[in-house]
Amino acid sequence: MPPLLEVRNLRKSFRVNDPLGKSSGRLVAVDDLSLALEAGETLGLVGESGCGKSTTGKLIMQLLKADRGEVLFSGVDLAQLPPRQMRPYRRQLQIIFQDPFSSLNPRMTVGAILSEPLLIHNLCRGRKVRERVIELLEKVGLSADHEHRYPHEFSGGQRQRVGIARALAVEPQLIIADEPVSALDLSVQAQILNLLQQVQREHDLSYLFIAHDLAVIEHVSDRVAVMYLGRIVELTTADELYRNPRHPYTEALLNAIPVPDPEQPRPKPLTGEVPSPVNPPGGCTFHPRCPYAQSLCRTEAPPLNPCGDKHLTACHFSDQVGRYLLRKYSA
Amino acid sequence: MPARLTVENLSSYFFTRAGLVKAVDDVSFRIAGGETLALVGESGCGKSMTALSLLRLLPEPGRIVGGEIRLDGKDLLRLPQIEMRRIRGNQISMIFQEPMTSLNPVLRVGDQIAEVLRLHQGDSPQQALEQAAELLLQVGISDPGRRLRDYPHQLSGGQRQRVMIAMALACDPQLLIADEPTTALDVTVQAQIMDLLAGLKEERRMATLLITHDLGIVASNADRVAVMYAGQIVETGSVPQLFDNPLHPYTQGLLDCIPRLGQKEALAAISGQLPNLRLHQDGCLFIDRCPGPCTPCGNQMPQLEELESGHWVRCWRY
Repeated sequence: MPPLLEVRNLRKSFRVNDPLGKSSGRLVAVDDLSLALEAGETLGLVGESGCGKSTTGKLIMQLLKADRGEVLFSGVDLAQLPPRQMRPYRRQLQIIFQDPFSSLNPRMTVGAILSEPLLIHNLCRGRKVRERVIELLEKVGLSADHEHRYPHEFSGGQRQRVGIARALAVEPQLIIADEPVSALDLSVQAQILNLLQQVQREHDLSYLFIAHDLAVIEHVSDRVAVMYLGRIVELTTADELYRNPRHPYTEALLNAIPVPDPEQPRPKPLTGEVPSPVNPPGGCTFHPRCPYAQSLCRTEAPPLNPCGDKHLTACHFSDQVGRYLLRKYSA
Repeated sequence: MPARLTVENLSSYFFTRAGLVKAVDDVSFRIAGGETLALVGESGCGKSMTALSLLRLLPEPGRIVGGEIRLDGKDLLRLPQIEMRRIRGNQISMIFQEPMTSLNPVLRVGDQIAEVLRLHQGDSPQQALEQAAELLLQVGISDPGRRLRDYPHQLSGGQRQRVMIAMALACDPQLLIADEPTTALDVTVQAQIMDLLAGLKEERRMATLLITHDLGIVASNADRVAVMYAGQIVETGSVPQLFDNPLHPYTQGLLDCIPRLGQKEALAAISGQLPNLRLHQDGCLFIDRCPGPCTPCGNQMPQLEELESGHWVRCWRY
């Protein structure tokens, strides 16, 4: 049986214009990206701003057209489907956005927002629609009397609950959650993460969970892919990733997380900043910031290769990585 | 150690059409030279309004209605406007969250830093630019001569924040207010900026008020913490006191709901949401979200009590 979602060699580039409108080059947002996701699984996609993680989500949703590569959903290549035939798959694939303020139509009541997908996909009609809307509201921790309110009457956390209810309305198999908690306060973030895990168990959902916060990703994911400048640099199980990172960028991310424990060592900064994706460094794109870099890294890009059981890394010297890891996490 | 900044019973209210909002409610704290106090809380808790009150820059319809703010003994609330202007950007500087919106997009960064020096120190244009280059070097910007001629959009987020820090430090302030200085930055750049601030504080013996919602940042960067909730300080203490022995149920809840590496259990979320600050309640403001409220909580506001040396909490449990 094929995996629920399989992405093969996906690539997407954008034309970049200078301020006068002249084309000044191409930005490769996602390059040669492959991943697979099983039913009921959560795959985390982590990286810093501009690394291509949101573009990947949009490419899978077919909200953006890829330059090349395949997006296989239950074995069917979505990238090849004409819009009409794509429609039944849109029901299977839903997305939750980061900003609960701009992803809900301010002129529609919550009831209208939640019934729209039900009507579009002909899932129910008449009195049944309202029953289903109320059922959805209750499932995400809101109540029936919220039905007639508008998005502005809700707090950020409640709006994100509406976003989740809208995604669940069509009973999808896969939800792409693009930074679903990064706009929320800490106490609300925990509520939403718990809710996402609860509905996953109830509906046997798969998640592609996109976030920049490694601790959040590690908490919700079974496996994690780390992205840097459009490529996956490491892919392994969530446990293995923080106990035994095998890519220097993953190690640097782990070192940079501020931990709420004064006994722990101070985060150790990485030198330099993320290079411009319009003009990425040659060889391994991480080499200018990498403490392990040698001359080979400047000339040759390392492929994503297995380095252990269910563990892929794109580093020439992955066997040395871990030397600079600040904190040791025990089992 | 003598306090550089002393804030006593500061209250700032917003007189909105829909009613009175106590954004800052009877807040007191002190910061010594070379010390960092972190003001922690979620959005809307009043931490940024506390900072703006210190500068007397509250937006309308907000007003400081009471209290005292003393910087090296001088009461800022009694100063005439003109003298207050000499203090802002000079003795008290502020770094904001979003460096793109707090830098002027149509001025070269060199001119923006130089403006501060010319205004407050009366430097000549040439002197000011030379000193601006020196400052850029201190905040870790390489090739400062060229960067001075750049516009903000030509810099990355981390570099813009470094420019903001250079501007804030230009006049050697006694008090630096850093309002979510790294929230808009990536985590690897965040570590660089926090490292830079720690080094500068050590060198210059400034008092620092660090405003953040991230308890991870607090643990590695502050000496003392004040936790704010709905306009009030609900707990304050040294960093080890607060992290090892959190007393207020809100502080305990905040520490429990952070996802930590290696923890797979469901997060202990704090139920409910912030109270509506327009509806003034007599009792504790945290009562609706508290896991174990007791009898007086509903009708009487608890006061801050010192339970161990320097560790204060506002809760009827103790």
